[in-house]
Formats: sequence, structure tokens, C-alpha cells
Amino acid sequence: MKPPPLVRSSIRIFDLSLGQMLWSRRSVFLGVLLGGPVLLALALRILSTLYEAGFRINGVRAAGASIFGMMIWLLYLRFIVPILGVFYGTALIADEVDDKTITYLFTRPIPRRAVVFGKYLAYLACNVLLVLPSVMFVFFLVVPTGGGRIGPAFPSLVTDFGMLIIGLAAYGAVFAFVGTRVKRPLIVGLVFSFGWEPTVLLLPGYLKRLTVAYYLQALVKHEMPQDSAVSLLMQVFREVPSVTVSLLCLAAIIAGTLWLSGQAVESREYVLEQ
Amino acid sequence: MSATNGSDPRSPIVVADHLSKWYGQVIGLNDVSVSVPPGITGLLGPNGAGKSTFMKVITGQLKPSKGTITVLGETIWNNPSLYFRIGFCPEQDSFYERMTGLEWVTALVRLNGLSDADAAEMARRALEAVELTDAANKKIGAYSKGMRQRVKMAQALAHEPHLLILDEPLSGMDPIARRKTIRMVKDWARAGKSIIVSSHILHEIESMTSNILLINQGRILAEGNVHQIRDLIDEHPHTVYIRADQTRALARAFLAQDDVLSLRFEDEAIVVQTGRPDAFYSRLTDLAASGELGAIHEVTSPDDNLQAVFKYLVKS
Repeated sequence: MKPPPLVRSSIRIFDLSLGQMLWSRRSVFLGVLLGGPVLLALALRILSTLYEAGFRINGVRAAGASIFGMMIWLLYLRFIVPILGVFYGTALIADEVDDKTITYLFTRPIPRRAVVFGKYLAYLACNVLLVLPSVMFVFFLVVPTGGGRIGPAFPSLVTDFGMLIIGLAAYGAVFAFVGTRVKRPLIVGLVFSFGWEPTVLLLPGYLKRLTVAYYLQALVKHEMPQDSAVSLLMQVFREVPSVTVSLLCLAAIIAGTLWLSGQAVESREYVLEQ
Repeated sequence: MSATNGSDPRSPIVVADHLSKWYGQVIGLNDVSVSVPPGITGLLGPNGAGKSTFMKVITGQLKPSKGTITVLGETIWNNPSLYFRIGFCPEQDSFYERMTGLEWVTALVRLNGLSDADAAEMARRALEAVELTDAANKKIGAYSKGMRQRVKMAQALAHEPHLLILDEPLSGMDPIARRKTIRMVKDWARAGKSIIVSSHILHEIESMTSNILLINQGRILAEGNVHQIRDLIDEHPHTVYIRADQTRALARAFLAQDDVLSLRFEDEAIVVQTGRPDAFYSRLTDLAASGELGAIHEVTSPDDNLQAVFKYLVKS
């Protein structure tokens, strides 16, 4: 008998893992993390109602859509998405090893790489299901501030959703690879996200191409408030490739790191503590 | 279908040839060459002897550092199709605790490529075989130790494998669950399955098979009939740890027996040394079944006594 095809096996692992992932302790942490921007948006909305003059950055009134754009880039793409990628991506296999349940999956007639792929799909579904409602709340709370209107801004919300999903997919794949290859994946992941990426993005040269953020920022379409520290920072970040190149590179990052993760799991022995 | 590798029903189910496995500087298995015949084979050795390493190598979780291993005539490492014919019940007490027994077994059987309906049906049958039908829809987190052992066995046998590999399946079970499990293992063997079962308790292995592999310090010390080993082991007192509701009443009953050499209390348990484990276990099972001295929750045996025998064997 031949083992079921890789895609089918991965989907079965996805089915098995999604519920576990959604109801894990890590998801409580995720809920808290995603509640932060919603609370911030709520505070902004209350303040904008109390002070009709609205928010001003260097004397210029900031539109709700611009503030939303800032939150998407600075809060979600540069902070929450990498954090989720690190915490979930590095744990795809590590959780099963720590819980000693990996044995049940590795003694079934499926390719081992299906375990990584299926769990990666579960990570993606779990995080998309939790991140998108948070972004929706923030959108509806923030965009109307400063006289903004929801209708014209709505198409950009759809683009933001797409961007967040790509961000989650890319960081998840990179950290799944880190999780299957290195001994202290969490530390490596955090250093990569909050040390390496912000540093090399500020440096001229080619090093920034070795980040995920470099390609993601090409997808950010929001107008940012001008003449602020954020806009200056964005000017630096705006040295970006085209959208097509970014999408191709992100697709290559996702496919490449996932394939390498699969290879690592196929060849590695997992010695469970007795 | 044949219970072996498909060519000759008498051909060995597992063949190790100069098999070694080490973890860095630590040797898990040391130049093991052995052929395991069809039927029930007991793998006996104290903790740390190499039983679990051997189990992990024959289930393809670990790759041999040196030598070769074939299972049902094929190499096992990176050979997922072989898992259609193998069922493995690991030692560790680890589960997806939030799932029910039925959900968990079904989800694992689905990995064999079965449809949802077929997988659920096979899971139900397996749970019935291990007498867990009533608890099938309870969360595994709420299962007793014995039920957890049985649901582990259910996932191993649900897809009707030719070879069952059971790592310490009786560990922590109460006497009645032990008796039932031993009976099940024998029934599976009678139905044509081959079974490799590990334990550090000779009495347990002996109750299932007389064919044993004696392992210590990563080496197979002896293989074949159990009786010679049994004679040696009987010279050493056998220690039994019993967690029960009425330890004092049990102690009184045990002290009336001449084979009980010593007895001490530990929290909600008593630790008994007996010179005749067979007779002792038989009486213990009867006591547990009658319930006249309260519930007996757990029976385990530290492997000090077996370790002493191994030391003796190695020296001689």
C-alpha cells in the first residue's frame, strides 16, 4: 500500500491540529495581544469624540485612515505578525515533541513533512481567524475619526487583510524553518524580528533583502501622516521593490522555507525525554 | 493476510543485524543481532536497559547509528507505507487531552487514508475491543490511568495492523485492567497478529508469552524460553507498589500470607516484598475483583529486583 498523497495527509493533520491550536494557552496570549490594538483604537475613538479638533501630528490634522494605516504597519505588520510567527511557527513541531504526542503522528503512514505542512496550515488558519476580527474592529473604530468615511476606505481594508495574511504566511514559514533547524528557535526568532530586521532596514545596501519586512512594506499602500517621526521612518522604509517583485519574493520565501522545514523533519530524529 | 512479511508466515518479523544506536556519548543499543519470530515476544529489561531505544528503532522513530534493522521484511526508517502494517502503543502518557477517545482514535486512523466514516467505524471497533465503548465520548483528560493505557492501545490496533508493538502497556494499570489487557494481547496473537511487548516485570511478560528477549545495557543478554530466567528471578524478592483506598486492611490480609517477606506504608500506598510473585499477583487480582478491601487503583513494580538479577547474570 502506498501512503496517502502529501496534500491529503497535510489536510488531515490540519484537521487534527486546528482545534488543538485554537484552544491552546498560546491562543489566550494571542487574544490578549490582539485585544491591545482594539483597546487603543477604542481610546482613540473616545478621545476624538471628546476633542472635536481631532488628532494633530506636527500641527496637521491626521485623518482616521492615515492613523489606521500607521497602526496596520507599525502595530500589526511590524509587531504582532512577527510575534505570532515566532511563537506559533517555531512551536509547530516543538509543541508535539514537548507534549510527546509526535510519536502518534510519526508512526502513521504519512510522509513526515505532511506533519509540518498540516500544522503550518492550521497555524495560518488559526491566526487569520483571530487577527482579522481585531483589524476589523480597529478599522471601524479608527477610520471615522478626524472626519474620515468608512465607505471610500473599505477597499484598502481588503488589501490590508491580504497583506496581513501574506505577512502571517511568510513569518510563519520562516519561523517554522527556524523551529525545525535550530536549538533555541524562540530566541533566534525574536532576534531576527526585533533585532535583525529593524536594524538592516535602516542600513543602505543589500542586507535588507534578507528580511521579510523589506518585501512586505512594498505592499503597504496607506498614506502616512506627514512631517512626523513616523513619516520620516517610512521614507527610509520606502526604499522598496515593486509589488510584483515583493509578491514573488515572499512566495519564494514561503515555499523555500517550508520545503526546508519538511526536509529537516524528514531527516531528523526526535528523542523524547523519558 | 500473512502476519509476517508476506512471503513466509514463519519468517522473522524483526531482524536486527549488528544494530547499534548511540546518543552522542551514550550508547542506547550495542551491536544487537536478533531475529524476532512471529507470535508474542516479550522484551524484558530494567529501566535504561535499551528497551525503549529498541522499540523506537523498530518503529522507525530513530535511525540506527550502525547496522541494519528490517521490520516485516523492509527497512523502517523513512518508510511510511510500513505503518499500514504496524501499530505502536508508546510508553509515554501523552494525549490530546481535550479530545474524546473516539475523536482522537478516529483522527489518527484518518491518517491512514481512510474516509471519515470508515475511520470512525474502525475507531469504534477498536474502542470496543479495549472495552472503552462507554467512555468513547468522554474527554481523554478525564480518563483514569487504565483507560488512558487502553485508548493508547486502541489507536495502535484500530487500523488492524499485522504487528503490534506495545511499550510497557501494563504500566500503572490496576489488577483487573492488567488481567483484561493480558487476555486481549493473547487474543490478538491467536487472531494472527504478531506482538512485541516490553516490560521491566518478568511476571507480566510471562503471563503473555514464554518467548523473551532479555536486554540490559543495550545488549541482548538472552533470547528464547523464559523458564531459566524465571528460576533466577525467583531467588530474588519481588517488590510491588500498591495504591489503594484501604491500605491497612490490605496490609493485614498480606501479612497473613507466608510469601510476603516485608511490607511498608507510603502515603496512600503500600510497598510489599514477596518471594512468590505469581501467587501474590493472583491473590491481589482476586482481592481487587471482590472489592471487599476497597478499590485498588494502581499496581506497579519498581525494577530493583530485576536489576539485581541482571547484575547476577552479567557477573556470571
